[in-house]
Amino acid sequence: MVNEKEKKTGGQVLEEWKEFVWNPRTHEFMGRTGTSWAFILLFYLVFYGFLTALFTLTMWVMLQTVSDHIPTYQDQLATPGLMIRPKTENLEVLVNLSDTKSWNQHVQILDKFLEPYNDSVQAQKNDVCRPGHYYEQPDNGVLNYPKRACQFNRTQLGDCSGLSDPTHYGYSTGQPCVFIKMNRVINFYAGANQSMNVTCVGKRNEDAKNLGDFTMFPANGNIDLMYFPYYGKKFHVNYTQPLVAVKFMNVTPNVEVNVECRINAVNIATNDERDKFAGRVAFKLRIIKKT
Amino acid sequence: MGKKKSEVYSVEVNGIKDIETTDERDGKEEYRGLKNHLGYKKDHQKEELKKELDLDDHKLNTKELEDKYGTNTIRGLTSTKAAEILAQDGPNALSPPKETSEIIKFLKQMVGGFSILLWAGAVLCWIAYGIQFSEDKSASLDNVYLGVVLAVVVILTGIFAYYQEAKSTNIIASFSKMIPRQALVIRDGEKREIPAEQLVVGDIVEIKGGDQIPADIRILASHGCKVDNSSLTGESEPQSRSCDFTHENPLETKNIGFYSTTCLEGTATGMVINTGDRTIIGRIASLASGVGNEKTPIAIEIEHFVHIVAGVAVSIGVIFFIISVSMKYAVLQSVIFLIGIIVANVPEGLLAAVTVSLSLTAKRMAKKNCLVKNLEAVETLGSTSIICSDKTGTLTQNRMTVAHLWFDNQIYQADTSEDQNAQIFDQSSATWASLSKIVTLCNRAEFRPGQESVPIMKKIIVGDASETALLKFSEVIMGDVMERRKRNRKVAEIPFNSTNKFQLSIHETEDPNDKRFLLVMKGAPERILEKCSTIMIHGHEQPLDESTAEAFQTAYMELGGLGERVLGFCHLYLPEDEFPDTYPFDVETVNFPTSDLCFVGLLSLIDPPRSTVPDAVTKCRSAGIKVIMVTGDHPITAKAIARSVGIISANSETVEDIANRLNVPVEQVNKTEAKAAVVNGMELKEMSPEQLDEVLVNHTEIVFARTSPQQKLIIVEGCQRQDAVVAVTGDGVNDSPALKKADIGIAMGIAGSDAAKNAADMVLLDDNFASIVTGIEEGRLIFDNLKKIIAFTLTKNIAELCPFLIFIIAGIPLPIGTITILFIDLGTDVIPSIALAYEKAESDIMNRKPRHKKKDRLVNQQLALYSYLHIGILQSLGGFLAYFTVYAEQGFKPASLVFLRSEWEDDYINDLEDSYGQEWTRYQREYLEWTGYTAFFVAIMVQQIADLIIRKTRRNSIFQQGLFRNKVIWLGIASQIIIALILSFGFGSITALNFTTLRVQYWFVAVPYAVVIWLYDEFRKLLIRRYPGSWWDKNMYY
Repeated sequence: MVNEKEKKTGGQVLEEWKEFVWNPRTHEFMGRTGTSWAFILLFYLVFYGFLTALFTLTMWVMLQTVSDHIPTYQDQLATPGLMIRPKTENLEVLVNLSDTKSWNQHVQILDKFLEPYNDSVQAQKNDVCRPGHYYEQPDNGVLNYPKRACQFNRTQLGDCSGLSDPTHYGYSTGQPCVFIKMNRVINFYAGANQSMNVTCVGKRNEDAKNLGDFTMFPANGNIDLMYFPYYGKKFHVNYTQPLVAVKFMNVTPNVEVNVECRINAVNIATNDERDKFAGRVAFKLRIIKKT
Repeated sequence: MGKKKSEVYSVEVNGIKDIETTDERDGKEEYRGLKNHLGYKKDHQKEELKKELDLDDHKLNTKELEDKYGTNTIRGLTSTKAAEILAQDGPNALSPPKETSEIIKFLKQMVGGFSILLWAGAVLCWIAYGIQFSEDKSASLDNVYLGVVLAVVVILTGIFAYYQEAKSTNIIASFSKMIPRQALVIRDGEKREIPAEQLVVGDIVEIKGGDQIPADIRILASHGCKVDNSSLTGESEPQSRSCDFTHENPLETKNIGFYSTTCLEGTATGMVINTGDRTIIGRIASLASGVGNEKTPIAIEIEHFVHIVAGVAVSIGVIFFIISVSMKYAVLQSVIFLIGIIVANVPEGLLAAVTVSLSLTAKRMAKKNCLVKNLEAVETLGSTSIICSDKTGTLTQNRMTVAHLWFDNQIYQADTSEDQNAQIFDQSSATWASLSKIVTLCNRAEFRPGQESVPIMKKIIVGDASETALLKFSEVIMGDVMERRKRNRKVAEIPFNSTNKFQLSIHETEDPNDKRFLLVMKGAPERILEKCSTIMIHGHEQPLDESTAEAFQTAYMELGGLGERVLGFCHLYLPEDEFPDTYPFDVETVNFPTSDLCFVGLLSLIDPPRSTVPDAVTKCRSAGIKVIMVTGDHPITAKAIARSVGIISANSETVEDIANRLNVPVEQVNKTEAKAAVVNGMELKEMSPEQLDEVLVNHTEIVFARTSPQQKLIIVEGCQRQDAVVAVTGDGVNDSPALKKADIGIAMGIAGSDAAKNAADMVLLDDNFASIVTGIEEGRLIFDNLKKIIAFTLTKNIAELCPFLIFIIAGIPLPIGTITILFIDLGTDVIPSIALAYEKAESDIMNRKPRHKKKDRLVNQQLALYSYLHIGILQSLGGFLAYFTVYAEQGFKPASLVFLRSEWEDDYINDLEDSYGQEWTRYQREYLEWTGYTAFFVAIMVQQIADLIIRKTRRNSIFQQGLFRNKVIWLGIASQIIIALILSFGFGSITALNFTTLRVQYWFVAVPYAVVIWLYDEFRKLLIRRYPGSWWDKNMYY
């Protein structure tokens, strides 16, 4: 019997398919009559309508339990990560001195990034806080009381502030500024009441050599406690996270330099094997200069 | 097929052909040889088989034989001639069938089923890595690992399947065991011993008692030679062999001895006429292996199911490949999506679960005396719609037993059950006393000594079947027969022979005062009656007149009509004066009277049906299974047994019965009126396939009597033409082609030859038909349970697939990883799916018709739709709820996830902002993603528990079925939970597996969906039960 099946010709198969698609004897389209199709479509309409309602309901119930202001859990956020600005595609800061376009994009990113830090904006929106202390703002019985942020003035960034700076954060002269920022984590008391700062080194020996000197703003790469804790974007509307700018003074041109910056804080581990950005950031610096 | 038919069936026994046609035959032989080369071997073999035998050597005389084979009956062949023929014909041995090498078999497993899809997935993985590597030397090895895992999965399941297949035994092995080692041959005029393998056609061989016949030989001279042809014909009685041509059919004629049969006694000289594969047994052997294994129904079903799943996988894969490419994903990315879709769609663990379930059932069946050799046959038995059963030994007890007695003009019934502890007929008559004395004394059978403690029925007896029956009968009724014989010392005896047709012995009586001798005689009733002039009625001798003779005739006919073997008994007290103590009885001259005896009574013997069989046949009938009896016995006996076991039910008639009743010729009877039919082997030989089909279709109760084992094959094929799944029982060597051809061949464990056992798919350990019926029940149950297993397994494939689809379309972070999917398919789901094999039947499965091979599929549209589009979708929703819960509670609300994928997966973005303004490094996100995988995994696991519970029944409420009847289900649920716990808590720290330790509440997110699944399915079943035949029933019952 199996043989018979094998011997089916192409024509027969086509015929069978045709008959399957439209069977004129039974008026069946794809094996079902019109009423049958109507029934089945109606059924699936109702059934999937019900499922949609069910899913919407369960999702709604679930979202009711989630606060708008603070996340329920922060299981993965014990250690904040570090990141650099300008943010480039593969964390490589490439400055081709003879090609304005290559660094101009960085400059534009930085201009935009630093806009909220303008002293005028800061003065208008944010408080002047007491350095060296956390700026805690308990709700004090008022639910979801809006929080104030502390001022971080652009001028604090010194040579890297880019204010009335013809060198465009040093990019036009091959002495670029790279800004280090620490990831925002709600209710995280960075530094555990002790001062903390950012330090940068060349990753390997030759990197250290090629890296040359650099200057940090604010001095020592300090990050003040007053910028913590962060209360979430909903309350902490004008929060501007603290920055550390690193100005690389004399990077050896035409070589790739691997730089690693890390934060030195008591409660931030920087040696996580798997998370290469926990409390630290690694990036490449490359100045191309025609000799 | 049509063309082949005529070719196959038109060929008849070739015995009538003239000698002159030999040349022509040789020509044909050559032509066949040519055909062989062209690859028509199978057809050729089939043709050979149906033809029975085209052999005419038995009709030739010695001279003609010498001419034909160029030999000399006195001097034999010359060595050189023999060597020449040997070179031409090859050695006298069965050539093993061309076997597929083990490697090929193994490789076949590696590419069968879903394997090819998974291989494709693995290769795509490696290609993807290759491309990534060529672009970026530091590309992650994830894809390589995934490819390796997929390959390992394929190889492991392949090895598993190969191991299962390798267990099935090799059929030719038992044939080769039968080959005799040495042969005594006359060559160059002298006798010499040579290895039987070197025999050639024309050799003159000598055989003696105890030898196996070294080739097919034509007997030239014989001295009391008897052979045991049971391995060939199934007939166990020794057959004498002489040089006379006695029958047209070479199988029946006495002057042919067959290869591999045994010479029991005497000596014979014969000429070799066929060697090796050309011998009868060789042809049967090559046939049995040539018939080939038809695909079992379950194999076809599984193939069908694999096609469905593979079709879904490939089409969804291709559609989404196109979608993802047109959504501007990189081709490489799309390829990786494709792999995910394939892996999600393929139920990797299912085929292994099916195999395990089948072998569990096989074990259960073995306990009930059905030993299954080929796992798939387990289910085949369940779909059986016709059973062609042997009579002797299968339906009957395979021992002659006294069934009826006739004395004092009355028929008494004897107990024929297996244990026979009480005979309840009236034993007070004096006639019975005389009859019992004759039965006891006129009997040469004896118990083998040393069996005092064995029950009578089980004692081993030396003697032929009838005498054994009589001995046991009298032992049961009268006690110690041997003692009684001692008291009535035997003084003379004439044993039974075929010309006399009676047996006689003369005894002293046990009464010391009675000095007369007692002459007792038994034999064929008509012969006994001839010798009698009186008859004993109620202990008194009366003259045998017309009316008593007529009464005798009626009783004889009636018992004969029951298919029983009837024996007559008579006696005579020899007068003391004529035959004193010292009278020298001489059996050669017969110096004593053998006529004018006193007729005492009749005993009829039958091989009675097994007591469990009628019940089993009724069960078969209510299960819609047709039971056909195929026997070599006489039609009357066959019909009688068929009636007594219910194969022919009480109120149905054959055409002949109707003709008798209406008193019209058989031709005038409307054939469709007759439910039953008894077909004789000779009639069958005359029938065209169409006529046979007609018989099989028109009659529900059929008995084939006087059939040769070759005809069994024709019957099986006839049944298969009706689209039936045919089970065949058999025991002889030449049953093996029929056993092979049948959808399920059942060999007898006790009476069966090795060849039959090897050709069969199943061995019936107790030779009992009733065991087949329990086997059928198990087979049907496993089919139902396989449906449940597949439905259970397919469901979660949608829950694994949807994440990928949403991931591609909505660009959310991947909800479940490929490795995680494998852990469901090959981890949590395996034991529960096997547990469904232990599920009890929902209703009496023996009350419904056997499934239709082509209509009642294992995986039908309803099953696929319900699993995929109903429960599968529900499960996906539950999974997504868990996924969104994890993400929302950790900081990413559902809306923020849409189209987040490219940033989410960017290794250089380490400050991705969540819904609360927090920033995440890549690794933090990845870990969250794995938590999502784990949550989705747990959600599927939780809902699969609900799925497992709903799959316990297809129609009944879970409460009707009982939640706790199948304990293994709970073991399965426990295994699901434990495996999930181990993966999450135990391996949570091994990042390669992508599992994380979940918060406790995430384990319960999908519970509401599990409850909904259960409620929905209860609702479905309720409507099905409430409204049978409705639209709902048709679309929702799988």
